[in-house]
Amino acid sequence: MPVLRSLAARLSLLFALVSVLLLGSLGAYLYHSLSREIAWRDDQMLRGRLERMEALLDDGESVAALRERPQLYANMLGNRDSLLWLLDPRGQALIEVNPGHLAVPELPASREVRLGDVAGPVPARLAWQTLEQDGRPLTLVAGKLLEERRQMLADYRLRLWLALATGALLACLLGWGLSRRGLRPLRRLARQASRIDVRHLDRRLGVEGEPQEIVDLSRGLDRMLERLEEGFSQLARYSADMAHEMRTPLTNLLGQTQHTLRRERSAEEYRQVLESNIEEYERLSRMIDSMLLLARTENPSQEPPREPVDLGLLVEQLCEYFEGMAEEDGRTLAHRASGTVVANCELLRRALANLMANALRHGRSGTPIRIDTLTTPERVELRVQNQGEPIAPEDLSRVFERFYRCDPARTGAVGSGGLGLAIVRSIAKWHGGEVGVESSAEEGTTFTLSLPRVSRDAAAPPPPARGSA
Amino acid sequence: MRILVVEDEQKTADYLCKGLGESGYRVEVARDGFDAQHLFTEGEFDLIILDVMLPGLDGWQLLQLIRRRSQVPVLFLTARDAVEYRVKGLELGADDYLVKPFSFVELLARVRTLLRRGPPRETERFRVADLEMDVLRRRVTRQGERIALTNKEFALLELFLDREGEVLSRTYIASRVWQMNFDSDTNVVEVAVRRLRAKVDDPFPTKLIHTERGMGYVLEDRS
Repeated sequence: MPVLRSLAARLSLLFALVSVLLLGSLGAYLYHSLSREIAWRDDQMLRGRLERMEALLDDGESVAALRERPQLYANMLGNRDSLLWLLDPRGQALIEVNPGHLAVPELPASREVRLGDVAGPVPARLAWQTLEQDGRPLTLVAGKLLEERRQMLADYRLRLWLALATGALLACLLGWGLSRRGLRPLRRLARQASRIDVRHLDRRLGVEGEPQEIVDLSRGLDRMLERLEEGFSQLARYSADMAHEMRTPLTNLLGQTQHTLRRERSAEEYRQVLESNIEEYERLSRMIDSMLLLARTENPSQEPPREPVDLGLLVEQLCEYFEGMAEEDGRTLAHRASGTVVANCELLRRALANLMANALRHGRSGTPIRIDTLTTPERVELRVQNQGEPIAPEDLSRVFERFYRCDPARTGAVGSGGLGLAIVRSIAKWHGGEVGVESSAEEGTTFTLSLPRVSRDAAAPPPPARGSA
Repeated sequence: MRILVVEDEQKTADYLCKGLGESGYRVEVARDGFDAQHLFTEGEFDLIILDVMLPGLDGWQLLQLIRRRSQVPVLFLTARDAVEYRVKGLELGADDYLVKPFSFVELLARVRTLLRRGPPRETERFRVADLEMDVLRRRVTRQGERIALTNKEFALLELFLDREGEVLSRTYIASRVWQMNFDSDTNVVEVAVRRLRAKVDDPFPTKLIHTERGMGYVLEDRS
């Protein structure tokens, strides 16, 4: 139903529904109490009549005398809807006031006053009582035709229905008007929102002075926009940086190869060019690998398996790997890591290798590199520390960004092509962990990789669930 | 040794054909899945190199067809290195895989390993020129002179000797000796080879470990 798509229409319909329910039940209640009240009064009146007639009979007035003196009950005669019978045991009417020409009713004898309805074309309410007079039982019947009462109640019903319909209509209209008015801030919000698109992500909703709910909503949306804008600009920067990084090896490849082809050269020269090309290809290939790894860990479509990883063993392996390189430079790898963490071993190995390679690359010759762990109940912190030129404070917060280099002059020919630390951060985040860095001239530079000891989604334990961290 | 290369990309197919041919293999190339199916049913192959992204019959279907008829070793190539891809290939019965871009040296190493399969060869002693290695007693000698090696140096030399005459790429060496299955972007392998050379080659007139620039290292007696 297209109409019901509108919040205002829904609200006004709801208003109408509520008022129909309210007015309807109120009307029904009023109607029923009124009709009960009228019936009770009628019954009381009939009882009164019986009592009066009985009193007349008790006063010794004979039936014959009563028949002669209709004025005793004459007040009923002018009345179009009152009935009165005095019946002898054979059912013959001794006295009869019957403007509706009802058939003489057949009623069971009863000492007590009894009440009953007569159905039929002319419905009536009757009260009757059997009396002893002169040794014979007489039945005294008083009645009232119901036609008038029915008429009155029908009028009353009609008025109630009319009131109900009017009320519902009014509620619907008022509801429509009020909800449209009440929803006006929402339409303003929608107008504001429609001004924001990919090219104008810097715009904000900035709704103030509206109802609290709307302000809350708009603030929430603004925060979302901020994150989106940040993500977008990072993505754009990333793409630009990436293109730039690829340009360097491609320039080398293109230029070198074209230069070589300009004239005949010796086989040795061709060989050298091809060999140099391979280095550039490898650089490109490494970049693609790193970018794919980042794409996978930052937007994981599938969870790689996790298992308990012995950090002591892992760092031991990595130290063996980097040992030769460190020794060449007169450095030592001081390994004091221990503990277990639930993680993807391959990714963790890669993150740590990047941190250690980074420390080897930037540390001063002849100084040690320390790798240790700090274990708290919740987290395991892996720390890689090297001595050397401290990182400038303004660079500290950005070293984990992709392609960020503290020294812009240093290009990707040596090192990780600017993605090594970004990969570390991405792997840490994928594990629900964090990265950090501190740097000072005295303490050197310490990179930390902090991982939760219990995996992020403890409900779904890693496939080889051998114990937990 | 006959190798069937199933690859739709012209340049890749050409260089695989040339390269493997020069390495002494007889190579047949299929450009799509149906072609490959035909060639496979017609001839006998010792190894199949299969690109999984193929027109017509795709690599997975082809792999299933092959596995229904024979246990010939299959090496599959993929441009996607998502885990599910590798798992799928290995589950369907492939023996090994390579993610594009791969180096030719790497491919050659895998091909040789697959073709050498069969009863695992446990070599206890290696001998190249005057270099001898006793694996069980962990002794290395040259000209009868004992050379002391660290564990990793020993492992590296053992790998070279086991693959005598084959060019081994840096990534392959890193993965075999240190279980580093990614390009760590450092000169660790160069340093390790240099240090090994300093002990094994430098004091002796005959050099055994050679650098193949841009490709890797090879141990062989070239004298």
